[in-house]
Amino acid sequence: MRDISLIVRRVWKSAFMFTALSVLIVSATQAQDVVEGRKLFKDNCNSCHQLDRNSTGPALTAKLNELDEAFAIKWIRNWKALVDAGDKQAIEASKFSAAEMTTFPRLTDDQIKNIIAYAKAGEPKKEGDKAATESASEGVSSFSIAGVAAIILISIIVLIVLGRAIKMLERLILQKQGVVLAEEDSVSLGTGVKRLFKNKKFVFFFILGLIITLGSFGWMGMWDTGVHTGYQPVQPIKFSHELHAGTNQIDCQYCHAGAFKSKNSTIPSLNVCMNCHKSVQATEKYDGEISPEIQKIYTALGYDPATMTYDHSKEKPVEWVRVHNLPDFAYFNHSQHVVVGEEAIRKEKGLKPNEPVCFACHGPVDTMEEIYQYSPLTMKWCVNCHKDTKLEVKGNAFYDKIIEAHEKIKKGEKITPAALGGLECGKCHY
Amino acid sequence: MLAMNRNKVVLTSFCILATAVIFSACRDKRSTGLEYARNMYDPIAYNPDQANKNFANGQTAQTPPKHTAPVGFVEEDVYPNTKEGYEEAGVKLINSLPLTEQNLLQGQHLFNAFCSPCHGKEGDGQGHLVKLEKINGVPSFHDPEKTSSRGGLMKDLSAGKIYHTIKYGVNMMGSYASQLSPEERWKVVLYVQQLQKAK
Repeated sequence: MRDISLIVRRVWKSAFMFTALSVLIVSATQAQDVVEGRKLFKDNCNSCHQLDRNSTGPALTAKLNELDEAFAIKWIRNWKALVDAGDKQAIEASKFSAAEMTTFPRLTDDQIKNIIAYAKAGEPKKEGDKAATESASEGVSSFSIAGVAAIILISIIVLIVLGRAIKMLERLILQKQGVVLAEEDSVSLGTGVKRLFKNKKFVFFFILGLIITLGSFGWMGMWDTGVHTGYQPVQPIKFSHELHAGTNQIDCQYCHAGAFKSKNSTIPSLNVCMNCHKSVQATEKYDGEISPEIQKIYTALGYDPATMTYDHSKEKPVEWVRVHNLPDFAYFNHSQHVVVGEEAIRKEKGLKPNEPVCFACHGPVDTMEEIYQYSPLTMKWCVNCHKDTKLEVKGNAFYDKIIEAHEKIKKGEKITPAALGGLECGKCHY
Repeated sequence: MLAMNRNKVVLTSFCILATAVIFSACRDKRSTGLEYARNMYDPIAYNPDQANKNFANGQTAQTPPKHTAPVGFVEEDVYPNTKEGYEEAGVKLINSLPLTEQNLLQGQHLFNAFCSPCHGKEGDGQGHLVKLEKINGVPSFHDPEKTSSRGGLMKDLSAGKIYHTIKYGVNMMGSYASQLSPEERWKVVLYVQQLQKAK
């Protein structure tokens, strides 16, 4: 059955490829325009316009379909001139929003026509890609794995049943031949266990095994008590660090701006998400719908993507689950480690130049689809690193101050606690 | 008989050990595991990310009251987020930071972290997100032909206009006021002005 469906799919695919190819060849002359138009659109228009939805400017496909092309060309080149000349249609169109459109006096008629051609045609569909990913994902589905497991299980059961049947038949034949069978010494489970426990060696090994098992369980349990290594709670939004820090190569500091200037590495507020997700909606992955995870940001903010307005009365905070829970009695300062100690930590942990210093403790965050605690955050872990790391004192303003204070002490000059950081709030209030 | 028993014994102990190892290996990643005296570790005070029934909106992290500022926070004359405010800031806002190597280096670091994903490390509008086609139409700072949507060439934008744009955002660019302090914004302005001169 599977083979047949595969063949059918293959035939379908080749038929599809053939039609797609012929369509491409027929529209080759037009395609050139669209490709050129797409590039121009991405470079010049896309920061304010989307094809299928309103953005800073109106949705372009619909708008251009309703407009006369000659007017559209004039408008795109210099809409201000049209408005100044008193063109009624232009004046009406300029009322779309308070944001003014850029003028493009340098675009030629052909270039603008290409843009219009692209905007009307829309984004070329990537059917080929979709089919490829579909067949790839079907390769080893969980369904087929379950099937294999079921077949193995059934064959084992069949083997056992057959084996029993053969034994029975053999016994029957022997009985018919008149051989008196000695009663098989099949001991019942209860007496078997009893007999085993009378064996001193077995009892010894059993108790030894029990002690080792319970001991190791107990030891590991105590060792890991309160240690959260590998803790990976389910977050309210399926935010992927692998996508944002890995594929998109966004700097850690972009979202966790606090890590470089304060004790805490701040969890970004949603306005930081909106810096990109005002325009990035991943609609191409969800058949034109906004990604449900990005929609969660909008819901939390009371943001309506259709009108691009916020309703503050609908705001509801996203309840992220904290992953790194340092005990309240331990003081840890992010900025002191990633700014003052950056070079020293990089050397100690052997980080590559393109890896952020954060990886030293947080691990390869750019490969974590779901974030988890990489380091144990135990006192031993802190202390070991502080014992081994060699400080990079040269060219580090933080240590200049300490050296300066020590020089003063050497010379016997007056020095106050304030010079040694005694005015830091945290020295007394923590 | 004895030999067989010994085999059985070894096998049983091996099985017990193996199950012990397997069981200890599968730890639930969704749980923090065994805890003892958690109240010694948890703060008595509220963490900013905790729920808090003492406030009407149920959050510990409250918006600071209006007209208050953190210690050491200096905000320049405020120009509103309007076309007039933008033009006025462009003329009147002056960068108080000197053009030093250190300021430029810090400006570059901040620019690379906060701006380069879209604007590109060279300020050519070809950041990594633009190359991935996730964000599009980012203007180059130094292209001799690129115009700003608010008039004038990108490479001629004054320091005040750049500062105003960082603070409030424009079009699809968001406000960076929450990520960059006023001083940091001015450092970024210094660096952007260098990129405007690039060829």
